Amino acid sequence: MKMFQAMQVSASGLTAERLRLDLIASNIANAHTTRTETGEPYRRKTAVFAAVLAEAGQAGEGVRVTAIRTDPTEPRLEYDPTHPDANEEGYVAYPNINVVQEMVDLVTAVRSYEANVTVLNAGKNMFLKALEIGRG
Amino acid sequence: MEVRQVNDFIPLAWQQKEPQKTTAVQGEGFGEVLKRALNEVNELQLKSQQAAVSLALGEVKDVHQALITMEQARLALELTVQVRNKLIDAYQEISRMQI
Repeated sequence: MKMFQAMQVSASGLTAERLRLDLIASNIANAHTTRTETGEPYRRKTAVFAAVLAEAGQAGEGVRVTAIRTDPTEPRLEYDPTHPDANEEGYVAYPNINVVQEMVDLVTAVRSYEANVTVLNAGKNMFLKALEIGRG
Repeated sequence: MEVRQVNDFIPLAWQQKEPQKTTAVQGEGFGEVLKRALNEVNELQLKSQQAAVSLALGEVKDVHQALITMEQARLALELTVQVRNKLIDAYQEISRMQI
């Protein structure tokens, strides 16, 4: 419905931030994963956001996750000959994940989610205020 | 202080010197519009019910989607109630009229 346009836009933002949170969760959970199906250590995953174009001259562009990219930076090498996945020189390839950076991203995602909820509530309050026109 | 600047913010419709001629609205009457709107509200209510059921069953992927659907249905119903109140007000106003 046309009158819930702002709500739909905020909803798309919420969904996108949820997906970002899922990716951060998977990054932190796999911060020490040395084995994946490809045989390589786990690689950091990030979401690519894109604006969803509205009709020409219309407001209300939502956001959509167009792709989930893997971070191409090299794995972190750590010397640990006792590790089962250590190479001949005794180095273990750990994922290219910086937990501190992931935590910062996590906070950003949570705050963005909250911002979207605030916008949604503001829109709802405007709607309810409009219904008060002519009352009393 | 320059006050003329304010003119830039006045909606275009107000700035027009001559009021545009209103053309007779063809097609559906008020009843049709009301019926269509009520159907839409009903659809939203059904969606909201479905969202509540799937929320209870744990089938929902995004909790916010379910809640937004329910909220939309609630707001649409509220608008419907307001329209109904206005209609009844208008009816009572007419029925009280002295002939």
